[in-house]
Amino acid sequence: MKKIQVSHLSFGYHKENPVIHDASFSIEEGSYTTIIGHNGSGKSTIAKLMIGLLESDSGVITVDGLELSEANIHDIRDRIGIVFQNPDNQFIGASVADDIAFGLENHRVPSEQMQGIIEEFADRVNMRKFLNSEPTKLSGGQKQRVAIAGVLAMKPQIIIFDEATSMLDPQGKAEINALIQDIHAQSNLTIISITHDIEEVAHSDHVIVLDGGHIVLDGSPDEVLFHEQELIDLRLDIPYALKLQHALKRQGLETKPCTTMEGVVDELCRLRLKN
Amino acid sequence: MPITFKELTHEYNAGTPFAYLALDAIDLSITEGAITAIIGETGSGKSTLVQHLNALLLPTEGSLTVLDRTITATEKPKQLKELRKRVGLVFQFPEYQLFEETIAQDIAFGPKNFGMSEEEALSKAKEMLQIVGLSEDYLERSPFELSGGQKRRVAIAGILAMDPEVLVLDEPAAGLDPQGAKDMMELFVRLNKELHKTVLLVTHDMEHVLNYCDHVVVVDNGHIVQTSDKLHFFQDTSLLHKLRINPPAIIRLRDELNQRGFDLPCDILDTEVLAKAIADEVKHHE
Repeated sequence: MKKIQVSHLSFGYHKENPVIHDASFSIEEGSYTTIIGHNGSGKSTIAKLMIGLLESDSGVITVDGLELSEANIHDIRDRIGIVFQNPDNQFIGASVADDIAFGLENHRVPSEQMQGIIEEFADRVNMRKFLNSEPTKLSGGQKQRVAIAGVLAMKPQIIIFDEATSMLDPQGKAEINALIQDIHAQSNLTIISITHDIEEVAHSDHVIVLDGGHIVLDGSPDEVLFHEQELIDLRLDIPYALKLQHALKRQGLETKPCTTMEGVVDELCRLRLKN
Repeated sequence: MPITFKELTHEYNAGTPFAYLALDAIDLSITEGAITAIIGETGSGKSTLVQHLNALLLPTEGSLTVLDRTITATEKPKQLKELRKRVGLVFQFPEYQLFEETIAQDIAFGPKNFGMSEEEALSKAKEMLQIVGLSEDYLERSPFELSGGQKRRVAIAGILAMDPEVLVLDEPAAGLDPQGAKDMMELFVRLNKELHKTVLLVTHDMEHVLNYCDHVVVVDNGHIVQTSDKLHFFQDTSLLHKLRINPPAIIRLRDELNQRGFDLPCDILDTEVLAKAIADEVKHHE
């Protein structure tokens, strides 16, 4: 089932200089979609259009069959949560508990229910013992976990991660990536991840590639990542698995094309045992 | 002459209940004229270490010798100006430090502070902008109209304008897109190879260490736990795993295949060479 449908979407901060050109794509319910493109390609702008933070110049966005408009923007925002890049710019509470409570208060959740919800979602992101901690006492990865708890507490059906790990150290990145995978595995949430991590892309269900506000590639990781020259021309990375397979080919070893590291290891082990 | 740390200790808030030992009697020698990566977990002491290089922090015990200057706990700050000109320090996200109205003025700010005339400083700005890969057209524009990667280049140009012999950068590629990060790293290689700058990079990205650095220093919990050249560093990844740092893809692949029965040599850092070793083993496996 199509969860989000975007058709002929165009947008410019200045009318004469559009940053999104006639973009059309759809996202399946429960899928893990990655959006890639170099800085300035329009990735974050698309995310802001989908949650109605920006208003398109033309085109239609539908979520669950509902067309995004001024009349139902609140209804649609209840279905979509977003986690931004900079952990410091989205932590607004004086403590972890306050920060998770912020969205609940906006939704007028009765205060007698609030404590239970806060604890449930702090647990979900493994931040229960930090409930009373101030943001200055937390690492970037911990702040992002709190942001995710705040989003999950709103019970959204879709979560957009806009480069949510790019400012974190390796441990922070690993923690957040594992948490996102876990959330996706345990729920029917639709995940949209704007990312530069090509390994994450190789493991996703669906990839959309943006360049200069145009959608240039759209499909499964295999369909998209095998367009290697095109990705290189777009100044994007290709998975190491593919780089190695080309080198192997130059050495006279043909392998079944695959985009993930595990895939190429399995294939090489199979070939070795066959000989 | 190498940069040497001798039993250097740094304790923040020494003598108070908030005392925190960030570096514990470290001994370290950094090769001049090379690119050295400094790696370690957040909170390991990396940033404290690099801030000693231009005496932004002074040791609480021990000493540091850099460019013929020996710095100790009793150093007088006013004698350090010359050193700060010769050792350029670029913090994380330096683009947040841009403040002037034009890019030319922003780059010229440092050299003017170190006594260069307005005219000289502006001509220096022009030259440096080119070195960091931006055209002259940018000189009179506002730095705030640039993209993140461009802003960072301008900030780095401001440091280069003082013509430092040693360049120290704290995570210079963090948050850039893959091509932006690659351009940035290639800039440092050029500064090292062509202008013979000694480059020290704090980084979390092992692909960058593999592709662009000569030496590696590992800091853990205020101690130096390893110093080695790149080749030896990637032969054994147990330390990286202990520090929860993801090895580069080529090394992960090598280790993964070796665990599953391959016998690939551990001194391969090049994909073509690795591919040849794999192909040989697959074809000749009995």
